[in-house]
Amino acid sequence: MNQPVIIKSNRYGIIVILDRDMPFPELLEKIAEKFRDSAKFFKDAQMAVSFEGRKLSEEEIGQALEAISENSDIKILCVVDTDLQKEQEFKKSLDEKLNEISAHDGQFYKGTLRSGQVLESETSIIILGDVNPGAKVIAKGNIVILGAFKGNAYAGANGNQNAFVAALSMHPMQIRIGDVIARCPDESHKKSDNEPKISYVEDGNIYIEPITKESIGELNL
Amino acid sequence: MSEVIVVTSGKGGVGKTTTTANVGTGLAKLDKKVVLIDTDIGLRNLDVVMGLENRIVYNLVDVIEGNCRIKQALIKDKRYPNLHLLPSAQTRDKTAVTPEQMKKLTDELREEFDYILLDCPAGIEQGFKNAIAGADRALIVTTPEVSAIRDADRIIGLLEANGLKKIELIVNRIRMDMVKRGDMMSIDDVVDILAINLIGAVPDDENIVVATNQGEPLVGSDSMAGQAFMNICRRVIGEEVPLMDLAVSSGFFAKLAGLFKK
Repeated sequence: MNQPVIIKSNRYGIIVILDRDMPFPELLEKIAEKFRDSAKFFKDAQMAVSFEGRKLSEEEIGQALEAISENSDIKILCVVDTDLQKEQEFKKSLDEKLNEISAHDGQFYKGTLRSGQVLESETSIIILGDVNPGAKVIAKGNIVILGAFKGNAYAGANGNQNAFVAALSMHPMQIRIGDVIARCPDESHKKSDNEPKISYVEDGNIYIEPITKESIGELNL
Repeated sequence: MSEVIVVTSGKGGVGKTTTTANVGTGLAKLDKKVVLIDTDIGLRNLDVVMGLENRIVYNLVDVIEGNCRIKQALIKDKRYPNLHLLPSAQTRDKTAVTPEQMKKLTDELREEFDYILLDCPAGIEQGFKNAIAGADRALIVTTPEVSAIRDADRIIGLLEANGLKKIELIVNRIRMDMVKRGDMMSIDDVVDILAINLIGAVPDDENIVVATNQGEPLVGSDSMAGQAFMNICRRVIGEEVPLMDLAVSSGFFAKLAGLFKK
């Protein structure tokens, strides 16, 4: 490889691409050399830096940063980690945390949702009123309707399949929980069927059941 | 204290114009000063139902554009001197008027009249927005059909979003015989879905068709629909009138039909 150290710039600062095979002490020299050469160009710029091309340990990163600051006036604000695996782990834990918040935090809405109206919530939502046909409720958490539910609902809008939809009178057009969608049967429902019900996902299907001690006991929030 | 009332429904053909004509005439019968405004620009027909088509010289758009004074465009009804009609234009469309202009017009008319009734076009576009701009009360007309109720529901939502709080329901074209057989939604079912106050229910009545074609509103006549509309007028001015028992009518008509069959 002709150039063991390459400097590239991006929006936030610079990317230092390092040779994969060169022994680290030798590479460190090359980094020092490279930055000494370009010290005039960077002057005392403030930037973030990320290392690519080879996996560096904490210690190695520290040494590389030292080499950069000794040989130039660049002020390094932070080191950006481009490790994909680590990033995904971060994202996952962040999502889990957000899910937890949206399922356990809630809002109230008073009033009837009419055709064409959409109610969106970052958390769970409790509606004091009806949800009429053509209206839609979207919540990242759970949806509880203290009234007749005849429209569309989307619980767990960030993909949380543990979310549920409960209503005093359950005659929905469509229910979506996480990524699972269910629509109402084509034959019209019985009018008398007005007991409180809860819908949840089990084995990739949406179930609607009367609210009982058992059905509530099985929920995992 | 004058009141601007918009008669609207969302869906077409449920009886907005008929309701406007009858409620307006009924209020005039109750000695109120009333003006009816046809806001359905391009598809005018309130004047036909009122039987005043031949008297039109100026129209709503002429007033808005300043081609004439309001007084010149108002048509005095041939039956009641305290009832007036402001007809719509036939040669223009809904974009000829803006909501601000409508509000200004209704505010001017408030000084002279007790009730200003606006006949709203079907739909939720510009014409609807014009009609509701100056209104402080709405009468929602619907029939006991799912499509009409769905549209009414949407309209109520839009009215509420526009800050209109006084919204009342008229269920039109009820057929008690069908309700009894379970083939038609009952008034209670409709009120249950829409969850607003009921101000009246009007039975399906052949006389309405006849009266409409003749340009003679039948409010206050002996027919069931005429009585129903009169009751609505009384409730509009604040009287407490119990709901008419529409079931009687089906019995009466059934008997009548029975007579003819013999």
